[in-house]
Amino acid sequence: MIIFAACAMFTLAALVYIFWVPVQLEASEEKTRLAYLRERKDVVYENLRDLNFEYKAGKFPETDYQEMKTALETEAAGILAEIADLEEQEDTFHSAPAPRRRGSANS
Amino acid sequence: MPQLGSFAVLFALALSVYALFAGALALLRPDAAGERLGETARRAGVAIFFAVALAALCLVTAAFQNDFSLAYIYHHSNRDLPAPYKFAALWSGQEGSLLFWSLLLAAYGLVLRLRHNVDRRLFAYASVIIAAVQVFFLLLVNFAANPFAMMQGTLPADGAGLNPLLQYPEMVIHPPMLYLGYVGFTVPFAFALGALMMRYPGEKWIHVTRRWTMVTWGFLTCGIFLGAHWAYSVLGWGGYWAWDPVENASLMPWLTGTAFLHSVMMQEKRGMLKIWNMWLIFATFLLCIFGTFLTRSGLVSSVHAFAQSSIGNWFVAMLALTFAVCVAAFVKNRSHLQSENRLESLISRESSFLFNNLLFVVACFTVLWGTLFPVLSEWVQGHKVTVGPPFFNRVNIPVALLLLLLTAVGPLLAWRKTSFESLKRNFSIPALAAIAVAILLIAFGMRPWAEQSAFYSLMTICLSVMVTVTVFSEFVRGGRVIAGKTGKGLLAAMGRLAHNNTRRYGGYVVHFGVALVMIGLAGSAFNQDKEKEMGYGGKMEIGAYTLTCRSYTQDDKPNYRSEWAILDVTKNGKPLTTLYPERRFYKASQQMSTMPALRSTIQEDLYVVYEGVNEDNGRPIIRVHLNPLVMWIWIGWLTMVGGTALCMVPNAARVPLGAPAPARATVAAEAGD
Repeated sequence: MIIFAACAMFTLAALVYIFWVPVQLEASEEKTRLAYLRERKDVVYENLRDLNFEYKAGKFPETDYQEMKTALETEAAGILAEIADLEEQEDTFHSAPAPRRRGSANS
Repeated sequence: MPQLGSFAVLFALALSVYALFAGALALLRPDAAGERLGETARRAGVAIFFAVALAALCLVTAAFQNDFSLAYIYHHSNRDLPAPYKFAALWSGQEGSLLFWSLLLAAYGLVLRLRHNVDRRLFAYASVIIAAVQVFFLLLVNFAANPFAMMQGTLPADGAGLNPLLQYPEMVIHPPMLYLGYVGFTVPFAFALGALMMRYPGEKWIHVTRRWTMVTWGFLTCGIFLGAHWAYSVLGWGGYWAWDPVENASLMPWLTGTAFLHSVMMQEKRGMLKIWNMWLIFATFLLCIFGTFLTRSGLVSSVHAFAQSSIGNWFVAMLALTFAVCVAAFVKNRSHLQSENRLESLISRESSFLFNNLLFVVACFTVLWGTLFPVLSEWVQGHKVTVGPPFFNRVNIPVALLLLLLTAVGPLLAWRKTSFESLKRNFSIPALAAIAVAILLIAFGMRPWAEQSAFYSLMTICLSVMVTVTVFSEFVRGGRVIAGKTGKGLLAAMGRLAHNNTRRYGGYVVHFGVALVMIGLAGSAFNQDKEKEMGYGGKMEIGAYTLTCRSYTQDDKPNYRSEWAILDVTKNGKPLTTLYPERRFYKASQQMSTMPALRSTIQEDLYVVYEGVNEDNGRPIIRVHLNPLVMWIWIGWLTMVGGTALCMVPNAARVPLGAPAPARATVAAEAGD
């Protein structure tokens, strides 16, 4: 009898926890290309910081360092340009009277 | 208790099924109703943990209450079993260990589902995949290997007892560590598969799972080394690794998991090797399931394996289904895994990671091939052909040496490409140190040309020295930069350096630990052993040691009877210590077990086994092993654990960056140049 009561209590508690969901839930959104680019920008900056540090630590000669730095800066510039472009599009989109839409990862 | 436990595992299965199907359905419905359904699935996932924990609690309680009405408790415990081993009964047998698998998976799932706000959609995918794996294990626990099955007929007064080999302190922690490793790889696998299915943009899923993967890898490493230490301390054959199928089962996911930990950095930093990484983590998870299958199916014989059983078919089905899902997800979404960059040079950090990965995969395939060779040969030839340590060593020792070389070289190479000038600048000191050590070792009597084992040993030690010098040069160089900026002393600056980038410098500490382990392994080329019948006053010499038999004695404890030899040990004629090698007879299981006596130093281990008496003349037999450098293995392992722990520490806060600017000229300034 005690075992039965314990099983019933456990089941009831679990069911209440699972199905007593708040009416308002935070919506899970698709990740946008803009969010992806911002992450990518952080990674490239991190790579640049690592490169600078390793250069200061004496791991690379000047010529190697400049070459690698230029390559990373070019990559970062491309990302920043695309971010700026997308942000501009987003601003235009928001200021327009049409209803808001969710962004797409491949937009 | 058995009824409550049975209810709990059945209820956990129901919750898992709900979390799987409701979660999957919610992912297909991106509206408010779908959100609510997904939330109920997440909560069901949380509740699974409490249901499985209740079941595990019931089983442990039954062990402590000596409830032999449960067949599992009867077979794996007895009244006089010490309390820690009663607790360990939870994972000592097949049914309990599968319940334990489910418990650990539920615990990992709990943490994941409570942290779902990091990225709700990605976590929802991972949660559904984990629920699917959970369903499999709970199906097994409920319908194929139920730990709450009752004994038939008259209830026995006492249990059959725990396997004597498992009655050793390390066996209380070794299986949980190994299982935490096996089960833990489900999490990065779930995120990887989820990210592929949802075509998740970017590499954030790697960032999210980085710590999970490191923790899991750390647990698996601990589990493997604890197993090796247990084999060394208990099995009495004087070694720690025998290429046993169950040992191999734990090594294979470790090899692919280690490869993944390295190559994933290429994906994070340069957006490369996306397909390779995806398959590495798929393979690692499949090898974890395969390892669990090996220990339970009776497919291969092993001193560690559980009894043969029919649950092997369940695992085959699970492996086939998982592989099919992985292939389907990959075929459907492979265009999402296009590499963003190409390999620019063969002498670069990327190529060192690539070679490192290929070598790990070769080692893994060799171990897999050797482990399955008895089964494959039986299919083809009709009789089992077993391959022993020589097969594994022939391939894996050269592979390990190449990996050690890459461990020394890799951190010194630049991303993209490395110039000759840079090579000269970075490699001179480590290479000179390795050559100097080789000359010293030869001067002290090592003859690498005399035997292959001596050559491998010399190479291992030299390359380990190279790794060590590389690691220290990285710390010193970085420390000098910090010291120059902050005015701190070099040691404090090196501490600060490690705190600034814990992942990188923790990784270097792990590399140092690996070098120490490899030096320890190199010592095995010079192992010696002797066996002799020793009466009272009998003497045996090995190396600089002399063992004199003082006497033999015996004792009777509640759980076992024991007899042991008392041996006085001298080194170069000077009294050193007394050793007590022991043999035990466990009453409940009616089995014998040896407890070797060990004197361990940084230089060598004196390892003594009391083998019993010669049945012809009644004289006791003593076997002695002299194993050089074994302690280095355990020190190296602890260093690896320390390095892994350092990787877990969050980096020291950086100075915040300014707002992004679209001009190239601002990049350098923004990146902190």
